[in-house]
Amino acid sequence: MGSLSTKIVAIITAILIFVSLYLIFGYARVEGTMLEVQKIFYYHVSAALTVFVAFGVNCVFSIKYLIQRKSNDDLLAVAAAELGLIFCTIALLSGPIWARYAWNTWWNWEPRLTSTLILWLMYVGYFILRSALEEDKRGIYSAVLGIIAYLDVPIVYYAVDIWQGGLHPDRGTKWNLEATMRHTWMVALLAFIMLFILLLIVRYRMKKTQARYEILRQKHLGEAL
Amino acid sequence: MKIIVVISFLVVLGLFFFATQVPITLTDDEVAKAVSETSSELPVDEEVLERAVRLSVEKLEKGQSTRLKYLAAAYFVIWLVFILYLLRLGQQQRELDKRLSQLEQTSDDSPSTPDEE
Repeated sequence: MGSLSTKIVAIITAILIFVSLYLIFGYARVEGTMLEVQKIFYYHVSAALTVFVAFGVNCVFSIKYLIQRKSNDDLLAVAAAELGLIFCTIALLSGPIWARYAWNTWWNWEPRLTSTLILWLMYVGYFILRSALEEDKRGIYSAVLGIIAYLDVPIVYYAVDIWQGGLHPDRGTKWNLEATMRHTWMVALLAFIMLFILLLIVRYRMKKTQARYEILRQKHLGEAL
Repeated sequence: MKIIVVISFLVVLGLFFFATQVPITLTDDEVAKAVSETSSELPVDEEVLERAVRLSVEKLEKGQSTRLKYLAAAYFVIWLVFILYLLRLGQQQRELDKRLSQLEQTSDDSPSTPDEE
């Protein structure tokens, strides 16, 4: 992707973020039960859904890497996993603030929270594994772990249905919102997905430059010896 | 890069504080005016009514202030994670550029091999 396309993606993302902020505070109706605190929903849920997209990209490119063994697929998978972890961190940090007001507790070991924490820990493990392995094994082992870790995504998504009695609302709740709230959430979700795409492009390019640097360095060291 | 990130953060923060100025805070004059208007319509003691209104307003303000603190904390955390990540990316990019230029410089300075000569 050329730098012009990246600039266009960056501009669209910036506009969407500002529009989403305006919609959250200036357009969306204040919810009746939680009042202003409910406005955390727009970015919290958007971050959580972007996590699924990011780890989905990681899973797809991990499979592709295992089949074709192209280093670019591995780099893209790592970049997506890193961003997934960032968005997951955001969901895990903003959630407890909301929970403190809504449930009167910072944390609760209910199904969705627990499975999300497990997901986060698995991808932390993904990076620990990568840093611990030799370069030739790094791609293969981390791709396998990436695919296994992705199995937790449907568990997180369907946690409310699988284990009844959780504190999170039903999956369908977000689609049955009042019109202004639904529109706002859709824009916020789109803004986060665009932000993910933008950061993925930036991170992938950096990873590629880093890989090129390593090749040049090895070559240089070989010549020096 | 750093300037853009900081400016974006300040703009977002400013927009947030501007947007969260929900007009619940009532002045004493506004309360007194509302009480006097209501007491002329209803056969109740103006003093009791004013006390009830003041207590209700205080309760509403306190509730809203608490809710806005939670809201501000959540948005602050969300943007802080992004800002820190972007700053880290910027730092990594600068280090990478520096190492690449050093490598290129070393390659230029190194004596050429006999084959090249």
